[in-house]
Amino acid sequence: MAAGDIALRPAEALAGGASLERGLVEECCRGDAQAFARLVALHEGMVFNLAARLLGDAEEARDLAQEVFLQVYRTLGRFEGRSTLKTWIYRIVVNQCRNRRRWWRRRRKDRSRSLETLTRSEEERLAEGSGRMEGPDERVERRERARAVQSALQRLSFGHRAVLLLREVEGLSCEEIAAALALPEGTVKSRLSRARESLRRALTDGKEAAP
Amino acid sequence: MTCGQVRKRLSEYMDGELGVRPARALTGHLEACPSCGGRWRSLRTALEALAEAPRLEPREPIAARVLDRLEVESRGPGLALLFRPFWKTRPLIFPSLLPAAALLVVVLAAALALDRDAEPLPTVITRGAEWGPTGPSGTESNPLFLSSEVSAPRVRTAAPITADLMVALGEEPLFVETVVARDGSVSTVTLLDGDSQQAGPLLEALRRQRFEPGRRNGRPVAVSLYRLISRMEVRPPIT
Ligand SMILES: [Zn+2]
Repeated sequence: MAAGDIALRPAEALAGGASLERGLVEECCRGDAQAFARLVALHEGMVFNLAARLLGDAEEARDLAQEVFLQVYRTLGRFEGRSTLKTWIYRIVVNQCRNRRRWWRRRRKDRSRSLETLTRSEEERLAEGSGRMEGPDERVERRERARAVQSALQRLSFGHRAVLLLREVEGLSCEEIAAALALPEGTVKSRLSRARESLRRALTDGKEAAP
Repeated sequence: MTCGQVRKRLSEYMDGELGVRPARALTGHLEACPSCGGRWRSLRTALEALAEAPRLEPREPIAARVLDRLEVESRGPGLALLFRPFWKTRPLIFPSLLPAAALLVVVLAAALALDRDAEPLPTVITRGAEWGPTGPSGTESNPLFLSSEVSAPRVRTAAPITADLMVALGEEPLFVETVVARDGSVSTVTLLDGDSQQAGPLLEALRRQRFEPGRRNGRPVAVSLYRLISRMEVRPPIT
């Protein structure tokens, strides 16, 4: 893009989404339980997937997702609509995951479950449950790939993992990531660059340098 | 462009953030240099694998469990809390605080009248937490949550939680909100979920904790901490 070009966003889609969202938030704030259930249903897939990838543990992710939505519920009154609701929720997820990991490291070194095992079974369940027609070889390959990605992710630092997931899996722009993580956009970009390279290395020479 | 420069800019190149000329130079280099070309391909393969990894899904919907917990809070001692964020921070919904306070009292009274065995509210309110107009954010009546801008309060005097206190807890974990005031004292302890009778002494112990207060931009602010406490373990504040 030439300097001075302005990227145009699909303004209508954004505006429609935003006003729908505002309506939902307002209903929730009036104490409408059904509206809140809708809000949770809309975002729970994203919250769970992100938490499971960040924590590397599906069970912890389930607990954490609950805490995330309780926090959303309690603090919804403070949501000012400066960011989208989704960005705001991303922020809560990442913060809670970061705190939980810190705590793990301090408290549960000895009796922590193997983080990979749980996620691995989750991966397998998914790989098998996918409706696509595929041969056994293809399925094994896909499962291996998914496993390799998860194990590579777990070898990155938390900060790198968070940026990568938000960008490559959730499809956020650097600007949105900056808003979600409360970081300057320049920091996000340089972190993203390093995180991508770390993942590439973890996936290419991962076979020799097992964790 | 040297190989080093090229490798440093692959990420920007991928996002289309290089200007026309640098992008063209980089494309040229990738075609001419097998080493950088290989690096570029493996980078793309890695990121594609990440993007294509299956989305993990919870085995059961989360909404039901969250609503269950809110239900517990709204029926039980957390009732006041359930209302608090809304009328405190959204004056549009409750244009006057007077009706809001009246509504709260009515709802509480109704809840107590319905359930004759209702226990007194176990909320330990010591000071600064009056049900009044909302103070500015970061004060005791409108505490902040932890975030990258708000540092966590650090414990100065640990809660006198004895083994006896923990044994007195039932099997069910307690979910507790603590507001750490700007002077490091605990201004409010609220039991959000759990048996209030068993929790009483523990809440009192938590109230006696002293902290180095949380800070935002270097200034002390009141901070709200959530904790899950069970006989097995005391979890850290959840923000
Ligand atoms: Zn080169």
